[in-house]
Amino acid sequence: MKWRNRSKPLAIILTILLLLFLLFPFFVMLSTMLKTQKEVYTSPPSWIPKMPQFANLIRIWTEFEFGVYFKSSLIIALGTMVLNTLLTVPAAYAVARLRFVGRGLILYLFLVIQMFSPVIVVISLFKTMAALKILNTYFSLILANSVFTIAFTIWMMNGYFRSIPMEIEEAALIDGCSRVQTITRIMLPIAVPGMVTTMIYSFIAAWNEFLFGLTFIQSQEKMPLVLGLYNFVGRWTTQWELLNAAAFVALIPVLVLFYIIERRLVAGLAGGAVKA
Amino acid sequence: MGETAIPIRQRLWGPEARLAYILLAPALTVLLAFMFYPIAYVFAIALSKTNRISQLKGFVGLKNFLQLFSDQEFWEVTVRSLYWTAIAVAVKALFGLVIASLLNVKYAGRRIARMLFIIPWASAVPISSILWRWVFHPQYGLLNATLKATGLWAHPPTWLGHPLSAFISCIWVDIWIGIPFMALVFLAGMQAISEDLYESANLDGVNALQKFFYITLPGIRHLVLIATLLSCLWTFNDFNTIFVLTRGGPAGSTDILITRIYRNAFEFQKFSPASAMAVVTFLILTILSVVYARIYFRQEKS
Repeated sequence: MKWRNRSKPLAIILTILLLLFLLFPFFVMLSTMLKTQKEVYTSPPSWIPKMPQFANLIRIWTEFEFGVYFKSSLIIALGTMVLNTLLTVPAAYAVARLRFVGRGLILYLFLVIQMFSPVIVVISLFKTMAALKILNTYFSLILANSVFTIAFTIWMMNGYFRSIPMEIEEAALIDGCSRVQTITRIMLPIAVPGMVTTMIYSFIAAWNEFLFGLTFIQSQEKMPLVLGLYNFVGRWTTQWELLNAAAFVALIPVLVLFYIIERRLVAGLAGGAVKA
Repeated sequence: MGETAIPIRQRLWGPEARLAYILLAPALTVLLAFMFYPIAYVFAIALSKTNRISQLKGFVGLKNFLQLFSDQEFWEVTVRSLYWTAIAVAVKALFGLVIASLLNVKYAGRRIARMLFIIPWASAVPISSILWRWVFHPQYGLLNATLKATGLWAHPPTWLGHPLSAFISCIWVDIWIGIPFMALVFLAGMQAISEDLYESANLDGVNALQKFFYITLPGIRHLVLIATLLSCLWTFNDFNTIFVLTRGGPAGSTDILITRIYRNAFEFQKFSPASAMAVVTFLILTILSVVYARIYFRQEKS
């Protein structure tokens, strides 16, 4: 018991020290985005801006194509979310509830391919996209992102469908609902929280995606945010104060969404031993 | 719901089975067209000669593989990928254990601490890597400025400018991104361990370190295994960190298989060697994935 009383302050102190250490780049980000360009390019740099100002948060929209990139990312992420959901929900219902040959194998397959690396595929996927004449379009990214998220979202959604008691569905079937009616009127409304999780997951995955964008997109006006920021580094003199402000604005929406699904995400990845 | 209770004919072509096929069809079609077909095509490129725009120019069998295996650089990159993964995952697991233990202590504000610890995982990897590039900036970066000002290191290196320090920088950023997931999984495991075990240990006068090694660690060993495997896959696959920080440089010193494949294909237009390398990598990853899936299923059942 004695140890416990002493361990609490120690844990708090260690936690604070670790956080200071691990959040270092974000402190740098906050410091830099509040500086003027002149101050950013002063050596040695200081932590505290002399005249903290929020002008950079406005300048990214006016002097830098941030708005364009933001719009592209939004279209790509929303598109991925919609396509992913349309593909995920029916498939997940099938593997969770219907009895057919090969069900176990398909579930196993989804778990394995969830780990496939986009880099392996991108060499020939590039050719496929070229053959379909959809290189340099939002759709190429929506498609690629959907393909590389569905294995995991089907897997998560399958878990959610399974957690809904069988009796609810059986009662509806006995009352004379057809299987399809049971799905659309009973199961889908109950499954909304699970769907929200997979939708947010696919949205974030698309928002953060870099490799496919790098390979498929050439024109500035179609670039997603992550790629736009990457290309901004190393352009003549990088305007780091703008880049840090842009990173901050790009980070916030994703952070909020991530907190909503974080526990379910960990449970889905680590399996039954972790409760969501 | 006994799978065997239903006759095989019903499971093969009964109304339920037919509905299942219809519902699965869109997802499977898309996977077939945009994942399995491209993978098969990478195998085809690896077994063929290609020109600079990656058109197939005749079957050459295993020639590309033999060439790859006799290439010194390939082995360098492969070995680097292996120790890159081993070191990074080990350090992630260590940090994860420490953070999970800290978050497992009950105090006001630990929810906030948890939220703050998650940020490096929640942030987009390429954006984090851009932020780190700025942190590492030799002239205006706050890392070196802080090291100098505090006297911790009077002459810190140009982090991304030399092979060794660039490698350390890249692997550190990869580790930094991977820590939160480990911590959260371990924490979930620790919270599932019964309080009673600790209570009785306390009565027996067992110290904290012993409790950690005899109660906590065995209690979460299954999760340690699964998180480690997942982390191996992600780490081995970490294209974004390296590409954004160094693009594999200086002089290829930070290339791992996954970045070298991409650069071979899209920077040097060497599609056949890139594809041969991709096939090798694919096989390594598939083995790891299958091990992960097996352990995952075993755990689901128990």
